[in-house]
Amino acid sequence: MNKIMFERGSVGQIRIHVMPTTRFKTFAVSLYAGIPLAEETVTTTALTPFVLRRGTVSHPETIQFREQLERLYGAGFGFDVYKRGNYQIVQFRMDTINDSFVNSDQSLLGQSFGFLGEVVTRPVTEDNAFRASYVASERENVRKKLEAIINDKMRYAAERCLEEMFRNDSYRLHPLGERSALEQITPESLYNAYQDWLQNASLDLYVVGDTTLAEVEELVERNFHLQRTSSPGYEPEQVKLTDIEPRTVTEQLDVNQGKLNLGLRTSITYGDDRYAAALLYNGILGSYPHSKLFVNVREKESLAYYAASRFDGHKGMIGIQSGIEIANYQKALDIIKAQLASLAAGEISELEMTQTKAMIRNSLLEMQDSAFEMIAYDFNRILSGKDRPVEQLLSEIEQVKPSDVVAAADSVRLNTIYFLTGQKEG
Amino acid sequence: MEAITYDRLQETLYHETMSNGLQVYVLPKPGFQKTYATFSTKYGSIDNHFKVEGESEISVPDGIAHFLEHKMFEEPEGDIFTQFAMQGASANAFTSFDQTVYLFSATENIIKNLETLVNFVQHPYFTDQNVEKEKGIIGQEIGMYADNPDWRVYFGLIEAMYATHPVRIDIAGTVESISAITKETLYTCYNAFYHPSNMLLFVVGGVDPEEVFQMVRDNQASKDYKPQGSIDRLFEQEPTSVHQARKESKLPVSLPKCLFGFKEKEVGLSGEELLRRDLTTKLALDLLLGSSTTIYQKLYDMDLISDGFSYEYNSNPHYAFSAMGGDTKDPDQLLEVIKAEIEAVKSIGFREEDFERARNKKIGGYLRMLNYPENIAHEFTRYNFRGGDLFKVLPIYESLTLDDVNQRLREHIDWNQLAVSLVVSP
Repeated sequence: MNKIMFERGSVGQIRIHVMPTTRFKTFAVSLYAGIPLAEETVTTTALTPFVLRRGTVSHPETIQFREQLERLYGAGFGFDVYKRGNYQIVQFRMDTINDSFVNSDQSLLGQSFGFLGEVVTRPVTEDNAFRASYVASERENVRKKLEAIINDKMRYAAERCLEEMFRNDSYRLHPLGERSALEQITPESLYNAYQDWLQNASLDLYVVGDTTLAEVEELVERNFHLQRTSSPGYEPEQVKLTDIEPRTVTEQLDVNQGKLNLGLRTSITYGDDRYAAALLYNGILGSYPHSKLFVNVREKESLAYYAASRFDGHKGMIGIQSGIEIANYQKALDIIKAQLASLAAGEISELEMTQTKAMIRNSLLEMQDSAFEMIAYDFNRILSGKDRPVEQLLSEIEQVKPSDVVAAADSVRLNTIYFLTGQKEG
Repeated sequence: MEAITYDRLQETLYHETMSNGLQVYVLPKPGFQKTYATFSTKYGSIDNHFKVEGESEISVPDGIAHFLEHKMFEEPEGDIFTQFAMQGASANAFTSFDQTVYLFSATENIIKNLETLVNFVQHPYFTDQNVEKEKGIIGQEIGMYADNPDWRVYFGLIEAMYATHPVRIDIAGTVESISAITKETLYTCYNAFYHPSNMLLFVVGGVDPEEVFQMVRDNQASKDYKPQGSIDRLFEQEPTSVHQARKESKLPVSLPKCLFGFKEKEVGLSGEELLRRDLTTKLALDLLLGSSTTIYQKLYDMDLISDGFSYEYNSNPHYAFSAMGGDTKDPDQLLEVIKAEIEAVKSIGFREEDFERARNKKIGGYLRMLNYPENIAHEFTRYNFRGGDLFKVLPIYESLTLDDVNQRLREHIDWNQLAVSLVVSP
């Protein structure tokens, strides 16, 4: 097994993590910027990267800006905005060809840093504000994205289930913010919010490729123009379990297929010693084609095409998703609940344990072939404060016993049942 | 075993044709943990009318290739996922217009997993009961796609373009069409298209090629395949012109979805000629509509398109078409503006400088793709079934000229060949 080894440094209050390797044809660069998820900042933070990707001081027009990326052999550049635990993370990514494969006279890694550093720290401005036309069109763009969530019913149901489940928690907020807040954002207010964000966000920069920590530190020094005075970290979520009666929420839309989603809380988060047991619990429940949900909801009863569960170790929650015939709501719900009960009762076969361990082991090993996945795994450590190298997690997985899975089941509480149904009475 | 080296890409591909006709390719990726393998048949949703040499002509129900893919996972002793999970492999399959692909990825037990893959695909097991059961599951899959506006707008476009060619059939068929599927029709299709001479095994990752070839040789030698005659795929004469200029479907969407494209007039290309036209058209579309172009920026500034705007070109010896578009507040205005803008570009042609940059971007994208074993396996097989070679893409890109791209643009963008598909809220 290749060891995942990041060399660590810091420049200008940005934590730097570099993995020198020649295994890939590219340099993978990720910059994570995280701030606490809060109603006051969620929308401006979400809008910021959309405006940043419109133009910089040296490439103020969007066309020039994008042409510059194409000159770097079509360097992959993108960003995502998402939630992790109680934080809103903006992740910028670049994926640039290693110069040795093309006839480039300048270092492509150097040029990529020139580009990324400018995107984040030298946006085009006018009168101490972002360019007004960019703010106006990106505000519109984000509004459309928020409104478009309803187009994909699987995603819509998952979002709605979260929203209901966390209606008294900032986690209810969508990572792209709130439509109502967008309208009040001006080029000035956004620019101010951006400066606060740049000052206060936790910044972690990762590079995987044929380079060194010293080279990356020098590139950050040269290309990121920041005057930060501190380098805040992350506080992991602490889950307090409460015994409440699960809430059922039903919503009607013009759909052919019903979407039945369940939201569950667990007190086990990434930093917990029981984390490996929770991975097993979720794997046996619904992550694989051999899992209880797939076998019982789909294969035995032909009720669904998909029926799966997902464990979020940063928030301490499990989401179950399925797409069913509307008339089969009660039957499907009963079968899903029966799977939860069966796990809690310890109905776990030797075969289920072996298969699930093998599958988790495989995905942890496979991760090491992808630069961005190795980066994402390491970032868990930054988010949770828990240093758990892959080798350690692998050995913890091997040691989990059925009784540990039952103990993990004991930390799980069904919180919300969400059903998206058709217009007519089903 | 022959070794084909591609110095520029720093890759060596190993190939052998088994005595029963099966093509086997191995691409070792030193340093990679994962091995990814695909076992594919040149058989997809369009192959619904055919004649195997020495047998009679036959038409089969729509959606049967996909149905067959689902049923292959069932063996007398149960679901083959169980076996893969025990061996730590993550398995899956998919069906497209012209191929069905079975696959796994694993980091351990590679040879064993390869044997499982080859054996289960070469061992059909259909019963009346397991065929009936699958109809419920696939019915839900069809229902899920029926609610998906992106899928609907895409198929709407193909249905608008093609009058008789089976590319217009939804890959999964309809609830009605699959109701006619029986174990007998499944065996008929299986026997016609799953002969080793119609199949390709591709293995990429941290493997020793000779070990793979040895296993496959022994495995195939133990199975008694009789030589099979050629397969005639029968297609009714498809008119050159589009079937329907405009097609509209209703689904709840936040904004209308508008996808349009041009039906290629000349079909029947194959091999390098087809690959060359494919790459030239894709480059032309990039130069015309990519996010760094004036047309894209103008449409974005007019709020006629947003981030989701995309374009693609799909080509096969029997059909070829482009598809472009996205969400828009005003489909008619979008079409009107884009037509005027495209005509302006067509008359002047692209600029040399833009051409060079776009070509570099394509080369960069191609090299980045080679980081991902999944993509290599899928793309290699897709090209191979169409008579092309994925590893010849780089020299083709390098041989393209500005004139080639300008000429291709003028040839492809023929407004008489335009079809438009819309999804709007009811």
